[in-house]
Amino acid sequence: MTMPLSVTDCVVRSDRGRVLLSVPSLELGPGVSLGIRGPSGAGKSTLLYALAGLSDRAEGSIRWGDTELLALSTARRTQFRAAWIGMIFQDFLLFDELGALANASLPAMFAPRSDRSALKTRAGAQLAHLGITALKRTVDSFSGGERQRVAVARALSNDAGILLADEPTASLNRDAADALIADLVAKVRNNGKTLIAVSHDAHLLDSMDQIISLTDGQIETPSGARPA
Amino acid sequence: MIALWDGLPAETQDIALVVLLILPALIVGRIVLRGYAPWPLIGALLWRFRWANGLFVLLIAVSVGMGIGLLAQERGLRQGTAAAADKFDLVVTAPGSEITMMLAAVFLQPSDVPLLDGATYAAIAGHENVALAAPLGFGDSFGASPIVGTTAEFAIHLSDGRIEGRMWQDYGEAVVGALTPLQIGDGFIPAHGVGDGAEHDAHGGEELHVVGRMGATGTPWDRAILLPIETVWDVHGLANGHAPEHGEQIGPPFDPAYFPGTPVIIVRANELWANYALRSEFITDRTMAFFPGTVLGNLYRVLGDIRQAISLMTLVTQSLVAASVLLGLFILSNLFQRQLALLRALGAPARFVFAILWSYGAVLLVVGAAFGTVLGMIAATVLSRVISARTDILVSAPIGWSEIHYLAGFISLMTLLSLLPALAAFRKSIVAGLRS
Repeated sequence: MTMPLSVTDCVVRSDRGRVLLSVPSLELGPGVSLGIRGPSGAGKSTLLYALAGLSDRAEGSIRWGDTELLALSTARRTQFRAAWIGMIFQDFLLFDELGALANASLPAMFAPRSDRSALKTRAGAQLAHLGITALKRTVDSFSGGERQRVAVARALSNDAGILLADEPTASLNRDAADALIADLVAKVRNNGKTLIAVSHDAHLLDSMDQIISLTDGQIETPSGARPA
Repeated sequence: MIALWDGLPAETQDIALVVLLILPALIVGRIVLRGYAPWPLIGALLWRFRWANGLFVLLIAVSVGMGIGLLAQERGLRQGTAAAADKFDLVVTAPGSEITMMLAAVFLQPSDVPLLDGATYAAIAGHENVALAAPLGFGDSFGASPIVGTTAEFAIHLSDGRIEGRMWQDYGEAVVGALTPLQIGDGFIPAHGVGDGAEHDAHGGEELHVVGRMGATGTPWDRAILLPIETVWDVHGLANGHAPEHGEQIGPPFDPAYFPGTPVIIVRANELWANYALRSEFITDRTMAFFPGTVLGNLYRVLGDIRQAISLMTLVTQSLVAASVLLGLFILSNLFQRQLALLRALGAPARFVFAILWSYGAVLLVVGAAFGTVLGMIAATVLSRVISARTDILVSAPIGWSEIHYLAGFISLMTLLSLLPALAAFRKSIVAGLRS
């Protein structure tokens, strides 16, 4: 299950009022993967965080399906994220002291009691799919590629329809990055999920359905459609 | 309500008070953690900062231990001194300071005190309600042991009849306290005076023999050597309390004409109520009568205020330590700002992050308080031993209800206070946290 994205006149300003991001229009069909590229400081992550409902300073309209994200309270946006969005970060942001399964099923700690066991089961299944078998071993002993796989399993543990990834391959070596890209794209395609990935990695961008370029907070190529 | 409370058994009251005091902490914990299962994560964070956490726990433990140890010790000392005065129902002396006389009679602290004469003693000893009237004669010593002349009845009363060997039957015989270095059969020569100023050959080198040993009483009397008071008078070249025709008699009755005087008479009434009557009767222009228990009670009352001041100070100190620990936690929480922001990004409500921060602090507080209790028990035990060794007053300071109440109150107060640093969870921007 996923949903279309529709961004209209979205502006994000800094604390001092400087415009960090200005997106007049961005449309994305359900289950489509979108790559966001651009130089550092162009506002790529700002856009990603705004799409996740994490930004306190976004104005305009960010609509996921029927949900107008910016009209929701912080608490409701958090709920929306918990239900619909999975996030992946450049440096994984795992808890080193926990095992792979505990990390991947982290959302179970704050999920309603009735959902916890399903969530853990799903996290375990995702880890298995991604080739992680050492479920108990603390993740500080894992390689970068393995750690990012755990992070992917975590993002998918709530069965999110939308995956938001911030430079998911930037901390990985080429082989690990390519393997992760293959797995990630396969997961998204096979399950009809939406993937939005900020990246400098040409291999990752090449695997996306669409690419946009951001410069100085503006979309340069409104919709660089690629052949499917 | 108050009547209901007063009607409860003491133990029920104590337990109820513990529950009442700890209840705020439990309620807060229940509310904060409701619907969440954050313990693996809290464990992970605790482990990540284990050295800092260990230090925090140690700080809390030392401050809690000091507070508990002090409270337990103070009570132990009070009970110990009260127990030491137990055998001394009523003390009659020449008018003066009750405290000085009590210290001399009950705790065997040497002091120059005026004497009561034979007529006074005879009047007291002959009173119809007096079961025991024992004169005490101080002034000599052997090593660290004060020598006290008295009657056999008093020695039996003091030791509850637990005398190994036998009671003295003659002038040259002595019964020793449980902690004296002398054994039954040993001989010794008393020195005149006590401590460094004692004159060792003042009494002409007449050797006395130990014939009995009292059971331990937990009082300074365990260190004492008891002699017939006639012997004490005799070695000082005084009349021995008996007319020459009864020169060999040991113990009462004494002949007022040959009674050299005694600084203290320990009186025991034949009925409990009679003690009060006797006390009123023996308060005259030449005698003073007091209950050591009452004098101690007055002392405790004065000390009680000091105790409250000390308790308050330790509580304040403890709270300051705990507050600085919480401040430390607040600073520490900046170190895992990214992880907390991550949780929010994954869809964790702000209350979940709040719960993590609060639980983190609460765990440190509770663990610190638990270690502190153990430290306090050890400190109280060691202090008790030191005090017992120095004063010969048996002091034992087990942890009592007041310490448990204190602990429960402390935990509740601090877990409530640790809600404050946890509020930081709501303050920080998630995006700023993720980018930090």
